Amino acid sequence: MQRIKKFFTSKQMVTVVWVLGIMVLWEIGAFIVAGTKRSPENVLPHLYQIVQSVFSTKLVNGSQTAFQIVLSNAGLTLFRAGIGFLIGAGIGFLLALLMNLVMPIEKIVFPYLMVIQMIPILGMAPIILAITKDINKSRIVIAAILTFYPVATNTLAGFKSVEKEKHELMHSIAATKYEIYTKLLIPSSIPYLFTGLKISAPMAITASILVDTLQGGGGLGCMLSQSLKHAMTIYVFWQIVFFSAIVGILSYYLMSLIEKAVSPYKRIHK
Amino acid sequence: MNIAAGTKLEPEIIIDDLTVVFPSNNGGDPIKALKNINLEIGQGEFISLVGPSGCGKTTLLRTIADLQNPTTGSISIRGLTPKQIRMEKKFGIVFQSPVLYDWRTVRRNVCMPMEIKGLPKKHRTARVTEMLEMVGLYKFGKQYPHELSGGMQQRVGIARALAIDPEILLMDEPFSALDEFTKEKLHEDLLNIWRQTKKTIVFVTHNIQEAVFLSDRVVVLSPHPGRVSAVIDVNIPRPRALSIKRSAEFNALVAEVRSSFEGV
Amino acid sequence: MKKIKEIVNKNSFATTVYPILFGVLIVVLWQTQILHKILGADTFTLPMPSRIFDIILANTDSIWTNVVATLIVAIGGLIVGSALGFMLGVLATFAPKWGAGGLTVIAAFNAIPIIAIAPIANNLTKDLSDNPEIRSMIAKMIVVTLTCMVPMSINVNRGMTELKPFSLDLMKSYAAENRTVFFKLRLPNSVPYIFTALRVSVPVCVISALVSEYFAEFIIGVGRQIRENIVLAQYATAWAYITVACAIGIILYIILLIAEGITLKGRK
Repeated sequence: MQRIKKFFTSKQMVTVVWVLGIMVLWEIGAFIVAGTKRSPENVLPHLYQIVQSVFSTKLVNGSQTAFQIVLSNAGLTLFRAGIGFLIGAGIGFLLALLMNLVMPIEKIVFPYLMVIQMIPILGMAPIILAITKDINKSRIVIAAILTFYPVATNTLAGFKSVEKEKHELMHSIAATKYEIYTKLLIPSSIPYLFTGLKISAPMAITASILVDTLQGGGGLGCMLSQSLKHAMTIYVFWQIVFFSAIVGILSYYLMSLIEKAVSPYKRIHK
Repeated sequence: MNIAAGTKLEPEIIIDDLTVVFPSNNGGDPIKALKNINLEIGQGEFISLVGPSGCGKTTLLRTIADLQNPTTGSISIRGLTPKQIRMEKKFGIVFQSPVLYDWRTVRRNVCMPMEIKGLPKKHRTARVTEMLEMVGLYKFGKQYPHELSGGMQQRVGIARALAIDPEILLMDEPFSALDEFTKEKLHEDLLNIWRQTKKTIVFVTHNIQEAVFLSDRVVVLSPHPGRVSAVIDVNIPRPRALSIKRSAEFNALVAEVRSSFEGV
Repeated sequence: MKKIKEIVNKNSFATTVYPILFGVLIVVLWQTQILHKILGADTFTLPMPSRIFDIILANTDSIWTNVVATLIVAIGGLIVGSALGFMLGVLATFAPKWGAGGLTVIAAFNAIPIIAIAPIANNLTKDLSDNPEIRSMIAKMIVVTLTCMVPMSINVNRGMTELKPFSLDLMKSYAAENRTVFFKLRLPNSVPYIFTALRVSVPVCVISALVSEYFAEFIIGVGRQIRENIVLAQYATAWAYITVACAIGIILYIILLIAEGITLKGRK
């Protein structure tokens, strides 16, 4: 009895109830749409119809089922997003390190980091495709740009947030610059680095899908456009919507998981 | 003032006409944090610097530790400059906050200065155990700092400071954030550690009772500009128990220290 | 004394002059085509700054039409989304546990790619109006609304609940009603949090406006022009629109910073 009560008031339960609530709202919407529109599956299909389409064995483009199309194209998109993400995270971290090490670099770069935050990088996707002339390269480039600045600004904030006393402690035992970085600054900045990574992981995926839509040649975004133009069943579109949403959310949790793995100490959460 | 008590020890730290001036940050006159300080601190002595905020006691400690440069005058420690002593890694510092690295376990926190000193691993492990036993935290070695109480964290800080076997232990209001009961326990512990290790301890505090209870000598500093207004010998025999705080001798010394403040 | 002033001056000198010099250097490298060699680009896809500038001057009318279309969507969505987010954040304070749980679910929506929302919004609004311009605008605004709602709701909720220690006890000691607590304590306390949310959502509203334009039925807006001009291989014009898009982002952000500076004056 006690345990059941505990379960129903637990945090997970709250989340489950909310998700169920949203699903109910969706279904109400789907019923209304089904009664009023000519092709309701284009506007708001029932959830079971989408689930059904995932398990459907009907070939939609001659050789693949709808879900096979999604999966095979997802690989392409996510792989490029992942490479761009890693490159961007690496550059972002190194830049933060350089900015902290060399004052003039910080003075030069920091205002531009702020400006990058204000300008719509995603809007520049088409021109980057035009310059690189290669869809794969531009996917990587955009994902990298979107990753690099949250990582750089957050990591730099991490370096700056180290208390004066910790610096003085290192100074009082005559630690070298290298030791100060490896034993103090870099470990302190890890939580901040992950804040940046958590922001940018879903962004890298969004960017990669967006770049897909700019050209044929595969990828989730490309299939999404084709499905919307009714080149294949509209359920491919719906599957991609849910797939990308789930992958976006999972990428965030993946970063949290890695963070927990690399920092065994439990951080004090506010 | 009992000069004889101050001179019977070999001088370890000689502060000679030290003046520290800070540039003001809003265009006003520069601030004289310390003015013409002369002080000799004996080897193995427990000396306290007391005074109200702004009297320069922390600045004096920081100047000894080479965290702050003198404007004029000098400090010599065993005939060397503070910087030379620092480069030889002979300072142990304990701050008001424990300043522990939250990503390291208690053991690895204590180990950190020895890594910087480049001591071999075997030696480090043995020394960490020894230090943690001394501060009574051996059982907590595998835990992370935030799992410990404030008093325990401060003990880890003391163990870390002593790990590299420094010549001089510098303590900047180390117990001021702790509650009264924890503080008294740590006072006794610190005196025990001091007796075992025979370090020279420079202890900064604004708590007069604490200073009198712990020290051989209490240096009273007064603000605007920071200067030494009195040096008071504490001739209460050691080992000292908490009960001496009720003695007339103790209270007379506390009153003497209090009456030495000027310009507050 | 003089020395200190010199140091201060030197410092602010470095903060402004270094980045400006760097910017000038890039423009010079760009104009002299050295940048093209570094990037391996040609002057066709990466036109010179002077040419981009000329195009902006020559097409002010059509650029302005598109800027207005984008701004209506971005700012309209920002206002509606922030208002909705504010209400959600306030509602969540009444039932702390369920409210906070709901907000974490909503926060997960932040990870959903805009690209997935834009087409749904298009389909939803198909029958709203016979005028494609209007129904496209509503569809785009829905996207912006959704993306701006999330940061506002979470931050407002924090602003309403993360009160200074004992401030609630103080209110209680005056036997203040809930209404009073809300207007005298929670609402003023959440003002800095509202700006924190806006710092996230102002850039986001521009980005989602531009991206939703890609999918919109009616062809208008700065984002759509970037794409259309590239399809037509008019790269210089596309760059002109990119420049304008960046300017929109920067100007909106600066307006926000000024507003924040005025509103939060005197607060820490």
